Amino acid sequence: MHGTILSLPAGKGLRGRAERWRTRALLSKGLWSWAWRHGHQRLLGHEHSSWLATTIALTVVACFCAIVEGPLWRQSTALAAVNLAFALVLVLTGLMLRREPGQSVPAMALMLTGIFRCVDFIDAWNGPWPAYAIVFGGVDRVFGAWALLRYPNPALSAVQRRFLVALAAWMIAGRTLIVVTSTAPWMGGSPSWWWPTLDGDESLSDVLSYVVHGGEGIFGVTLIVLLAMRLVRARGVDRIVITPIIVAGIAAVIAASATAAVMTLSSIATTPNYAFLAESVADFAIPVAFLIAVVQRLLLIRNVTELTARACADGDIGALRSALRDTLHDPTLELLDPSDASRVAMNARSAGRLVSYLQMGAEAPIAVVIADPVLARYRGLFDAAMRTSTLALQNAQLQAKAAREELELVKVSRTRIIEAELAERRRLERDLHDGVQQHLLSITARLSAAMTTTTDPQASAAFGDARDGLKAVLAELRNLAHGIHPAVLTHSGLAAALEEVAARLPLPVRISMPAGRLGAAVEATLYYVACEALANVVKHAAADGVLVTVRAARSWLEMEVADDGAGGVPAGVIGGRGLANIADRVGALDGEVTIDSPPGQGTRVMVRIPCG
Amino acid sequence: MRVAIAEDSGLFRSSLALLLNSLGAEVTVAVPSGTELIAAIAASPPDVVILDIRMPPSFTDEGIRTAHALRGLHPDVGILVLSTYAESKYASLLLEVVNAGVGYLLKDNVTDAGALMESLSRVAAGGTVVDPAIVTRLLERRQQPTMMGILNDRELEVLRHMAEGRSNLGIARELFLSARTVETHVSSVFTKLGLTQSDTENNRVRAVLAFLRSGGPER
Repeated sequence: MHGTILSLPAGKGLRGRAERWRTRALLSKGLWSWAWRHGHQRLLGHEHSSWLATTIALTVVACFCAIVEGPLWRQSTALAAVNLAFALVLVLTGLMLRREPGQSVPAMALMLTGIFRCVDFIDAWNGPWPAYAIVFGGVDRVFGAWALLRYPNPALSAVQRRFLVALAAWMIAGRTLIVVTSTAPWMGGSPSWWWPTLDGDESLSDVLSYVVHGGEGIFGVTLIVLLAMRLVRARGVDRIVITPIIVAGIAAVIAASATAAVMTLSSIATTPNYAFLAESVADFAIPVAFLIAVVQRLLLIRNVTELTARACADGDIGALRSALRDTLHDPTLELLDPSDASRVAMNARSAGRLVSYLQMGAEAPIAVVIADPVLARYRGLFDAAMRTSTLALQNAQLQAKAAREELELVKVSRTRIIEAELAERRRLERDLHDGVQQHLLSITARLSAAMTTTTDPQASAAFGDARDGLKAVLAELRNLAHGIHPAVLTHSGLAAALEEVAARLPLPVRISMPAGRLGAAVEATLYYVACEALANVVKHAAADGVLVTVRAARSWLEMEVADDGAGGVPAGVIGGRGLANIADRVGALDGEVTIDSPPGQGTRVMVRIPCG
Repeated sequence: MRVAIAEDSGLFRSSLALLLNSLGAEVTVAVPSGTELIAAIAASPPDVVILDIRMPPSFTDEGIRTAHALRGLHPDVGILVLSTYAESKYASLLLEVVNAGVGYLLKDNVTDAGALMESLSRVAAGGTVVDPAIVTRLLERRQQPTMMGILNDRELEVLRHMAEGRSNLGIARELFLSARTVETHVSSVFTKLGLTQSDTENNRVRAVLAFLRSGGPER
């Protein structure tokens, strides 16, 4: 695609460079189809044979171009070599581009650009070739413009299509007019050339030449505008991928215009070959830009790996959303819970959004991704990201589920431990109470009987001493049993048990709670919490009174121990080992303990336990 | 005095019978449950029955239920309920269902021969006895429940002795006061507690009940 569109010299320059116009699509259709079908289908289908197919395609193109350029190798080896290299690089780029879904058209356009670049120089041969080279010399530019405008869109817009048709028509028709109004010598060629002169008129030919080439200049400017518009409009991944291509394209058009201007202003003899050489070298920016674009797309897919790492590390839907937005370069991307149907519908409805359900096989979807439709063009990248997200999300959900189940198991076993401990305490208390205590009481009664029956005052006194000793033992036994588990809690409930505790405290305790019994584990837990809290009030609070309130709602129970003391008790002082035990017990019932002790406002210990 | 015993612990039952016999009482029946006791005394009711509060089948308050049933069947038989729990709740429950000739004693004090006989005779005579340990604990409480707050110290002292089953004369002796002064205090307690019935014996029980309830938690 030498010099793209503006590179056409006008007037005398045109004649001086006659060899540059002579071309004709010599490429046999058969050869092309072979390269196409075999080379690319193999490339796509079998990784192992792709290098072979690529080598064959490149060899065929190289041979073809070398032959087409023919005598140019003697006239300017450097230019011939650069053209050949340019053609090969474009074919190679086209072959890579072919792998991308929906990009076979721009891939073909690129390859044709390379091949027709060489065909441009067929005027090195004599005979009819110089005339053909002039007429079809702009075809490589048309193909180049086609590739630049199309990639990576699925189709050309109407404006772009009209532009390309008009460009092709203008170039071929305009140049045909120039050829038929001129003769070979005017164009700097030899009279032995075959030349289809209809009406030789040098001044008319000159005017036509300026008009045609001036028009081509306008097409060049239009192309720059169209390309710039593409860049401005591109979003997200599109912008990343096409930026190098558009920049290289615009640069090539401008560079070609500079060469064209030099040629137009200089005389036949002075326009040097190296100007074309320099321009051809500059044109390499285009295949390089396409290669960069292809590599960019591959790199973007590689970024999906990073997405996996990020999503797996965080696991929540928000983190995955932002990871997806970064990876897919789409700040509008939404990741929604499929159950959030209204938001899904609302987001999907907004014009032409890309909707993708994350799901494993036939399972219910675990999330919905709603993204910029631009991403539909990057199916490979998008699908990879979706697959990765599905796995990451499912993994996170499974982990969360496992953690929840484990926690549930721990809770159940904690509750079981607390309940078992409570049952054990109650059993022990009852054993002491009904077994040992009854025994001791019986002996006391017998000692009393003995005391009344005996007539010996010494024996009576001894029996009395023994009985008093036993009574002391009984009192101790009762304290021990109470410490293990207060019987009053079992028999009369929390209120009575707290009442008993309150009776032994050196400050007034008001107890307010609903009538009726609570569950044994709940009563025991609340009892121990209250005992601990009341003990702390006595030790630390310097309070005048305490209020113990139990409130029961449908789904929770709350106990509050509030004193009117100094407050400001540091959590460390209240929350000693005793409270840690209590927090454990409360936790086993899925409840929580909170302590509030603002200075001067007393201390409140609150326990909330879910129930029902 | 003829006494019947319902007590599920065989060892304590036999020891109690032994003690009662040694004190000159005649133990006519000694069975392990309330229902057996009711059946056993049907033909010849004793002067007093001694009931353990916790008996089969539920081991909670069978003694009180049996007391309730007995009072319907034999209104003249005194009832003494024994417990190992120094809870005012059970005492007040008992006094609610049986309002005269009734007593609530802790087993520890039962083994005290003098206290046992005194309680038995008071109950047999239609008096009301609440174990002094329970009464003391109620009084030891620092917080003064509203109803008890309206009694002065002397009246509270008199009420306490009333709860322990003493007559006005007994209280007078105990507190070194004249019978007339005690009577004044007693009627003052009745008035302050809103007990206006003319039946003074019934008023005594009500006053004691009010006293016991004052120890219960706020509801």
